[in-house]
Amino acid sequence: MKTLMNDSITVEGLTKRYGAVTAVSDLSFEARPGTVTAFLGPNGAGKTTTLRMLLGLVTPTAGRALIGGRRYADLDSPRRMVGTVLEATGFHPGRRGQDHLRVLARAGGIPAPRVEEVLDRVGLTDAATRRVRGYSLGMRQRLGLAAALLGDPRVLVLDEPGNGLDPAAMASLRDTLRSLAAEGRTILMSSHVLSEVAQTVDRVVIIAGGTVRYSGALAELTRAGDEARGQTLEAAFLRLTSGAATVVSGAASARA
Amino acid sequence: MGRLISAEYLKLRTVRAPWLLLAAGPLLVLAGISGLIISGNDPRDPGQQAQALAHVGLTAIFALAFGIVAVAGEYRHKTITDTYLSTPHRGRVIGAKLIVYAVCGTLAAAVSAAVGLAVAAAWWADKGAPFAWGNSSMWTTIGGGIAWNAAFAALGVGLGALIRNLVAAIAVALAWIALVEGIVGQLIGNLARWLPFSAGQALGQGAKVMLSGRLLPRSGGGAVLVAYAVVFAAAAVATSIRRDVS
Repeated sequence: MKTLMNDSITVEGLTKRYGAVTAVSDLSFEARPGTVTAFLGPNGAGKTTTLRMLLGLVTPTAGRALIGGRRYADLDSPRRMVGTVLEATGFHPGRRGQDHLRVLARAGGIPAPRVEEVLDRVGLTDAATRRVRGYSLGMRQRLGLAAALLGDPRVLVLDEPGNGLDPAAMASLRDTLRSLAAEGRTILMSSHVLSEVAQTVDRVVIIAGGTVRYSGALAELTRAGDEARGQTLEAAFLRLTSGAATVVSGAASARA
Repeated sequence: MGRLISAEYLKLRTVRAPWLLLAAGPLLVLAGISGLIISGNDPRDPGQQAQALAHVGLTAIFALAFGIVAVAGEYRHKTITDTYLSTPHRGRVIGAKLIVYAVCGTLAAAVSAAVGLAVAAAWWADKGAPFAWGNSSMWTTIGGGIAWNAAFAALGVGLGALIRNLVAAIAVALAWIALVEGIVGQLIGNLARWLPFSAGQALGQGAKVMLSGRLLPRSGGGAVLVAYAVVFAAAAVATSIRRDVS
């Protein structure tokens, strides 16, 4: 159990203010090994800022975000510990897909043969030698996923990984995430596609206005016949993210 | 650090745009030396060889733009996120870029020098003038010109990391060289010798006679440029460490 806990994502009292604007306010939640945790919220809720603080790209005003008990910047080999998908636009348009991955492998201390393995895994082998400017949105997204898997990481942090994927690629992503979680990895994923999330994740963290509105098991949130909680993920999401902030915490979360 | 330098070099090798920038150097040297002779300068005049090869130093403008792309180009394409995720220690990223870009700027200037020597020797032969390969003032001019390129590439890395917006950084650099340094120079009189482009000219100058008094000695120009590069790099590291990347 101890080794598993080392791969957890722990967010404690995380706060980010830009001048008078509070983007994220006293956020606390956890994502555990062996589970896929959805990180949900309306546009502007602070999801991307939170994920960027988790990855050391944005400095928190207060609080901390830890991976395996350490700040991202303090990890020995961050690319081998954490895989990330952040933005579909983070590619040099003139660089070939496989070269993008070769650069990441070189910088992250990852053996070069992994590049072909991950290209194959996301189905980009045929497009590997094309320059990224010729890639569709879905292909860029898959290249991003390949980059995330490159270091065979214990933890995956994915910002809208399903964006722009066609139904077949979406189904394949779902299977990939499920099998990665089954291998004991920790997966934290933001998404707006709630129907997809409902099929993929075990746990849900919902934020709105920079604060946590729900953190706990998906089953708990969507439990049928419980009028206080709503029945579909969408109904629960809409209720939790509108109106006043009332923090609801799942029983499973409280046990942790 | 070796891994980081190797990764930065691989990044450069896998795109084409920066190399086009460096390829402009030899073309400028070819045109500049040819123009010098075609416009009527006599190859038999002493000092003309050094004057011709002083064009090597002027290619530093391309080295400056090349250096700016190192960090500002990563912000433009948002690859900076991946770069800092691979290496959260941002100061080391900028250090590796400084080394890689200064070395590439040096090598590109060496190519420009080789092209310049070939072009000059050809023009001298065309005019029936002996080309003195052992001309020491020509060789110090070439050496100074190559050093100017290395320093400007490093300066560009720092400037690009400070400004981050690629278009703005290039515009600032070109405006400074074409316009602002001249105007500021008139305001501060003799102190103008200490400004970066003047220091570069001192380093890569051909005929001392023409420019003496207006410029620092060659070694002084070199020292001033190194100081600028260090100050910009230090400021770039200091601000990059704190800045949010979003």
